[in-house]
Amino acid sequence: MKTPRISPETRLVLEKFVERPTDWRYGYELSRVTGLKSGTLYPILMRLENYTLLEARWVATEDGVPPRHTYRLTPNGLEYARTHLAEARPPFMVRQPAFCSG
Amino acid sequence: MRQMLETHLRQAATVLLESAIRIAPPDTRDWGRAMRGEINHVEGPWAAIMWAIGGASVLAKHALASLFIPGRGGQGITPDAGLFAKSISLRKAALVTGGACVLAALLFFAAPPFRQAFRVALKPYQIASGNIQPGFEALAKRAEIRHDPEGLALCAVRLQSPRESARLAEEAVRLDPNLLWVYAVVGMRNPGLSEIGQWVEKLERWDPQNALFHLITAESIEQAHFRRGVWSPPTKEQERAWQSAMLGAFQSPRFDDYLNRVAELNRRVVPRYGFYDPFEVQSREQIDLPVSAFENSERFAKLRLHSGADLEARGDRKGGRDEYWTVARFGQLIDSQGRADFEHWAGTTLQAMAYRQLQASSQKGGNHAEAALFGYLAAKFDPVKGEHAGFPGESAFGLDTSRRNAAVVEISGLMILLFFGLVVVATSILIAGSRRGARPAARSAKPVATMVVLTSAVGLLFSSVTLYLTYRPYWYIFRTAVLNGGRSQTRDLGFFLNDTKTLPGVSPRVYLWLDSLLYSGSPTFLFYFWTGVTLLGLIGLVLILLRHFLGHPPSGGVQRSPRVP
Repeated sequence: MKTPRISPETRLVLEKFVERPTDWRYGYELSRVTGLKSGTLYPILMRLENYTLLEARWVATEDGVPPRHTYRLTPNGLEYARTHLAEARPPFMVRQPAFCSG
Repeated sequence: MRQMLETHLRQAATVLLESAIRIAPPDTRDWGRAMRGEINHVEGPWAAIMWAIGGASVLAKHALASLFIPGRGGQGITPDAGLFAKSISLRKAALVTGGACVLAALLFFAAPPFRQAFRVALKPYQIASGNIQPGFEALAKRAEIRHDPEGLALCAVRLQSPRESARLAEEAVRLDPNLLWVYAVVGMRNPGLSEIGQWVEKLERWDPQNALFHLITAESIEQAHFRRGVWSPPTKEQERAWQSAMLGAFQSPRFDDYLNRVAELNRRVVPRYGFYDPFEVQSREQIDLPVSAFENSERFAKLRLHSGADLEARGDRKGGRDEYWTVARFGQLIDSQGRADFEHWAGTTLQAMAYRQLQASSQKGGNHAEAALFGYLAAKFDPVKGEHAGFPGESAFGLDTSRRNAAVVEISGLMILLFFGLVVVATSILIAGSRRGARPAARSAKPVATMVVLTSAVGLLFSSVTLYLTYRPYWYIFRTAVLNGGRSQTRDLGFFLNDTKTLPGVSPRVYLWLDSLLYSGSPTFLFYFWTGVTLLGLIGLVLILLRHFLGHPPSGGVQRSPRVP
């Protein structure tokens, strides 16, 4: 079976979900903590939800303001994230200063 | 004020996302609403705009994907294509579509009209070498190797260099004496050649009643007065010889410019050598009756008309009218037996001059009916107001259409080059980004490169279709002219080809001015100009690419900004 590929951006999103697995997170909040723009973040969320790794719900807000979508990992998603995040650290997480002699 | 601007910007962001939601596939719209729901919470109005642009691009991509793969349900991923590989199937669909467009565009090159159209489209960039007849020069060499008299004859007739034309004409006639008429066509164009006297003698023996040879002799005498840019008045003997030659022309019963033979030569030689360059093959002005022949005829006609008026004034009405009729008959001869537009115009102009004199003569003689007839004929053949007026501006398509079509063809050709270049560059980036161990910058450039491939490929196909459809009518005219000797609409082709020699929107005067400013009339200026522009463009592109690929540190070397997706 073909091994699914995970992009560095997806890994970053999964990491943020794993940090607080029970919390519902807003899209803009995720964008701020991951540094991903909406054009990158939402396709990842859409794919995670499509594979039932992520659940979403609408949250009503004050009158006149549109409701907000919130997200958190499903139990499957949490297991998947923990397994895959433990397998390999993404290259950009290895913090090795440039021009370091020691 | 600032708050108002902020409100407007947020409204604009909302409108943008709502518009994107409208075009998004139904199962993606909830995600669009989710992005819209966040706009009010994004800090800063410009950040809200950026948020909306990002969200709208996601929805637009899904809308585009649903067009290519209608049944895919709006999701960017299929399970077996790599679970978290970003937009893999969308990228594949875009690349397949782009590849199909490029292939379809390349298939156009299999069509001869398209190949010819492409060469015509790039003409403004090719005038540069200074050699305006490279095709005929190459053809002459091939014809010499093959010892092909017809090939040599065609080159002799068309090449602009007088000495080379004379040499090829001599060689053609040596190989095939039936091509003797080539001397007449070459001699008419180059009356200053030293061989003219010898050639005319042979031609007069071969075709004794043709007025053309007398016109060649007369022009040859005229040329003798004009040496190295200095005009010297003719001697009495020269003037007498010139008048004698012109009288011979005016009294000749036949006029044959041999252009029908040239057309026949075209029909046989051009396909034999596959020489389908419309610029060189269709340059008919090179072989038409030169202006000098008309100037000689007009000058001699005026002499005859004055002589007729003098005779009439002295009471010799018959002698006077005979002079007028001599001019009128010569005009009829040129008009009825010539093949070129200029010849018809010259013939009718001479007739109009003669009929005006005949009208005045009949009026004086009291024959009003005859005067009315000559008046009608003079008006009919008037070069300014008559039926044949307007030379050489008439055209079936119209001058504006020719100019517009030329611009469309030139722009389409340029766009084909541009889009093809973009496809090549973007494909190279995609290949570089897909290799194992590719730089992160190359990997992150893949989505943009995919979009560039797709849009450039579509542009390439569109430009190719436009070029083909716009040029196709001219290709038919060219084929008809070359293979059947047909002259209908060749004027349209001529106008069109003339317009394609300069860039759209740039007046030929600008070319002449630039040329004279820097190179004193040398056509090489254009070559250096466009080479410089192209080189600067290429250097700029290379610098951008270098900055893109080398400007980012390797992923393992320093911390990578997480903001780069």
